[in-house]
Amino acid sequence: MSTPNKNGYLIIFRSADWYKGLSPEQMQQVADNWMAWFNRLKDEGKCAGGNPLEREGKIVSGANRVVSDGPFAESKETIGGYFLLTVNSLDEAVSIAKDCPGLPYGVRVEVRPIAPQCPMVDELAAKENLAHA
Amino acid sequence: MSQTKPNSYLLLSRTDEWYRQLSHDELQQILAANKAWVGQLIAAGKARPGVALARSGATVFGGNKSTVVDGPYAESKEAIGGTLIVDVATLEEAITIAKACPSLRYGGTIEIRPISGECPLEACARALKQTEQLVPAAV
Repeated sequence: MSTPNKNGYLIIFRSADWYKGLSPEQMQQVADNWMAWFNRLKDEGKCAGGNPLEREGKIVSGANRVVSDGPFAESKETIGGYFLLTVNSLDEAVSIAKDCPGLPYGVRVEVRPIAPQCPMVDELAAKENLAHA
Repeated sequence: MSQTKPNSYLLLSRTDEWYRQLSHDELQQILAANKAWVGQLIAAGKARPGVALARSGATVFGGNKSTVVDGPYAESKEAIGGTLIVDVATLEEAITIAKACPSLRYGGTIEIRPISGECPLEACARALKQTEQLVPAAV
């Protein structure tokens, strides 16, 4: 859990349209809290950026490049946005994720280490080592 | 969809670890093809350097006493393997770019999502307030 990673972490917010049941005032409150959280992390030098995503888009699949619609609005797995954290350990990234203002409303936060390079490059290196062994 | 100002779209690549099945030469070939694809986009000002994600991590959910579980898992086809931000005028152009991704020949998907100019929560709150104002207060 505490393997250091100097490349940072991507934290990904997943949920259905959880805020649709809230009043405009509640919604504004959560939005304000979320923004304050983001700005605090940036001020502390723990966040390099982030973006909210529209609940729409397309999916391109497989060798035939089939293009399909979502669903992005209904799925609980839909990604609503992300932050790029510049912290050095998974523990610290998880502890930041626990402060997400959306958690009480069913938002799930996925915490993923950023790889130093494409995992395919690692795989190639592993195969080369094997060939030279 | 006819505006020409660049918008930003997030491309999310989802695959299992298909590349583990490839031979050394196939791997070398697909890596070179992927590098050329991203390199051309960056050179044209249509993409920013992306990130690859390690196939590990954790998920946090629940309210005040949040739960932490390990994952996602390497074998999952739904796991996000990497992201790329493209700056193009239309969703169609973002789709065209995604279709050209060399790795797709081995399966997997690329999700294309417009990046919002503002928090969707605030937009939703504002829309709701406007609707409320249209309803007569004393009924």
